[in-house]
Amino acid sequence: MMRTVSAAETAPTTHPWAVHAEGLRVRAGRHLAVDGLDLALGTGVHGLLGPNGAGKTTLMRALATVVKPADGRLTLLGQPVDGRADLRRVRRALGYLPQQFGFYPRFTVREFVEYLAWLKEMPKTAIPGAVQRAIDRVGLTAKADARMKTLSGGMLRRAGIAQAIVNDPEVLLLDEPTVGLDPEQRLDFRTLLRELGADSCVLVSTHLVEDVVVACTDVVMINGGRLVYQGTPDGLMAQGEPGDAGDSPAERGYSALLRRYRAEQGR
Amino acid sequence: MSRILRIELRRSAAAGTALVLLVAGALLLYASTDGWASGWMALAMVQRQYLVLLWPLALAAGAWQARREQRSNVAELFASTARPLAQRVAPVLAAMTIAVVAGYAAMTAAAVPWIIGTVSYLPTAVFAVLAVGALSLVAAAWFGMAVGRLVPSALTAPGLAVAGIGLLLVLTPTAVGGHEGVTAVFSPTQGLGLFGDFRTISGRVSAAQGVWLAALAVTGLVLLAAETRRARTAALLPAVLGAALAILVIPRGGDFVESPIDPVARELVCTEAGPRVCVSRMHAGLLAEVEPLARQGLTMLAKLPNAPTTAAEDTNSFLDEHAQPQRPDTVTFNLRVDSDGHLADDRTFLPEMLNAAGVNAYACGNELSRPVSRAAAYWLMEREPTAGAHDPAEETAQTRALWQSLRKLPEREAAARVASVRTAALACESLDGLLSRSAA
Repeated sequence: MMRTVSAAETAPTTHPWAVHAEGLRVRAGRHLAVDGLDLALGTGVHGLLGPNGAGKTTLMRALATVVKPADGRLTLLGQPVDGRADLRRVRRALGYLPQQFGFYPRFTVREFVEYLAWLKEMPKTAIPGAVQRAIDRVGLTAKADARMKTLSGGMLRRAGIAQAIVNDPEVLLLDEPTVGLDPEQRLDFRTLLRELGADSCVLVSTHLVEDVVVACTDVVMINGGRLVYQGTPDGLMAQGEPGDAGDSPAERGYSALLRRYRAEQGR
Repeated sequence: MSRILRIELRRSAAAGTALVLLVAGALLLYASTDGWASGWMALAMVQRQYLVLLWPLALAAGAWQARREQRSNVAELFASTARPLAQRVAPVLAAMTIAVVAGYAAMTAAAVPWIIGTVSYLPTAVFAVLAVGALSLVAAAWFGMAVGRLVPSALTAPGLAVAGIGLLLVLTPTAVGGHEGVTAVFSPTQGLGLFGDFRTISGRVSAAQGVWLAALAVTGLVLLAAETRRARTAALLPAVLGAALAILVIPRGGDFVESPIDPVARELVCTEAGPRVCVSRMHAGLLAEVEPLARQGLTMLAKLPNAPTTAAEDTNSFLDEHAQPQRPDTVTFNLRVDSDGHLADDRTFLPEMLNAAGVNAYACGNELSRPVSRAAAYWLMEREPTAGAHDPAEETAQTRALWQSLRKLPEREAAARVASVRTAALACESLDGLLSRSAA
C-alpha cells in the first residue's frame, strides 16, 4: 500500500534524545513523586525498574503528557513539554499504555484500535492497514471483531498494546504491559518489544526484573523519584554479589543497587 | 470522521436513543389516535405535545452518552492523544443528532399508514411544526451531553430527565403570569393552542421557537467543547442572545393569537356533478364518504319549498369569535372524524344535518327549541325519533309527541309546518308552537 509521506516525517531528527529530562519534578497529588530526575533515552528498549512508590507511573504519565511537570525541563522528540507548549505534534508520535487501561466495552478490538488511531490523528488512508497490523502483531487477529468486554485480562492487555503501537510511535510508553499475560504470551511480547525497539524509544515499566534483562537494551532504575541506575542489563547483573537477595544475577543486582542507594540516602 | 461516525452510530447510545424515541413515540401516538387522525397538522401538533416525555428522554440520553469517557476510565489514555476535545466529541455528537432526528421522523412515519388513505391536505406549516419538534430534541441531546460532561455522575441522566419533565409541566402560561408568547418560546410543548379542526401555528411562533432552540443547542455545543472556565461562561452567551431574539420575534400581548386558524384548511372543496356537496379542504379526503349521506339529506329536504341545493360542512370552529352567516341555499353538516381517520358515527349525521329542517342552530346561539328542531328532522327522515346518549328523557318525549302529531297531519300540512320551522330558524326566531298549532 502507498501513502503520501509528509516532509515532517522524512525530515532528519534534530534531537539527540527521544526523551530528555533535566531536574524533572512531577507531582502526584501534593506529593512530588518525581523529584529532580535526570534522564536521557534514545532508540531502544528501556526497562524501568523500581519498588512500589518509586515514581514509575508518575514518570510515565509525565512522559505521556498527561500531567504537566511541576519543575525542571522535559523534552520529547526535541520539543519542550511545558504548560504552554502545543503538544499536538509530539502526541501524534506517542504511544501509551496506562497502568489502568480504560476502554469502551461495546467497541470491537478493531473499532477501539481504529478509534485510537483517529485520536492520534493518523492519516485517514493509513488507518485501516495500521490497525490490522497492530492487531496482528499482538496476536489478537482471531479476536479482532470481538467486543472489548468479552476479552480476558491477557487479551485486554494485548489490545492495549495494539492501540499503543498502532501509530508506529517514536516514543512508546508501556506501564506494566505484561500483567495478565501467560508465560507463552510473555515470550511473544519480548520478541515484539525487540522489534519495536529497533527504531523507536520504548520505555517499559515492570516489576519483573527477568523481563528487563531478556528484552531490554537498557535498564533505568528509579527510587524516591530519582535516578538510581542507568546502564545495560549486563551492568545491572554485575552490580550484585552472591550475598544479595534474589534468585538470579539480575535480581541480585537490583537488590544491591537498592540497598546501596538507600544506604547513601540514609547518610 | 465518516468511519468513526459509523462506529459511533453502532456503538454509542445513538441507536438505542433512536429506538426508544420511536417505540415510546409510536406507543403514545397509538394509545389514542383521536387527536391526530384528522390531519397532518393535528399529527404534528400531537407529536409536539408528547415532547413532554420525549424531550426529557433526549436530555437524559445525551447526559448518559457524555458520561461514557468517565464510565470507561479512558481519560488517562485519551489525554495523551493529539486530537483536540472539540474534534473528539464531533462524531458522537453527530451520531446523537442523527439518532434523535431519525427517532422523531420515525415516530411521524409510524403514524403515516394510519391516515395516509383519508388525509390529503398537507400545508407547509406542518413541516415547520415538525422541524421545531426535531430541533428541540437536538437541542436537548446536545445540552444533555454538555451537562453530562460537566457533571459526570450516574445521577445526572435520571436527574435531567426528571428536571426536564418538571420544567415542561411547570412552564405554562399561568405560571409566568399569562405570557403565552413566553411559554411558547421556551417550551416545545407550548404555543400549540387549543385542539380543534383547522388549527395551525403561525410562522412567527415557529421561527421564534426555532431561534431559541438553535441557541440552546449552540450553548450545549460550546459547553461540550469548552476546556476552560472562561469558555464555559462564554457558552451562556448564545442562550441569552437567542432568548432575547426569540422574545423579539414572537408576537406579544394582543398580537399573540392563542389558537390561530388555517384559512386554507377551511376553504370548501365541492363535488363537481349533481347536487353540490362540499367539505373543508382539510377533510377533502372524506368527500367520497360524506357525499352519499349528504345527498340523502338534500333529497329529504327537497320535500320543502325553496329547499337548499348544496350541502356543505359546517366550518365554524369553536375557536372563532363570530359564527359564519347561514345561507338559505346551503344546508350545513358537522363532519366529525373518527379515531380511524374515517367519518365518525354516520347514524347521527342526518339527524344533525336536518335539525331545525336543515338550519344550523349554532348561528342562533343554540336558543332554538330542541324538541321542535329534532321533530322536524325526524319527520324529514321519516323515522321515529330516538334518544341520543345525552338527551334528557323529557326532551325526547316532547320530540316524539311533536313528531307523532306531525305524522297525523296530511303530508302537505306537515310539510308547510316544517317549512315554517326552517324559515323561522333561518331568521333565528322562536320555533315554539310552530309544529303544534291547530290545523289551519
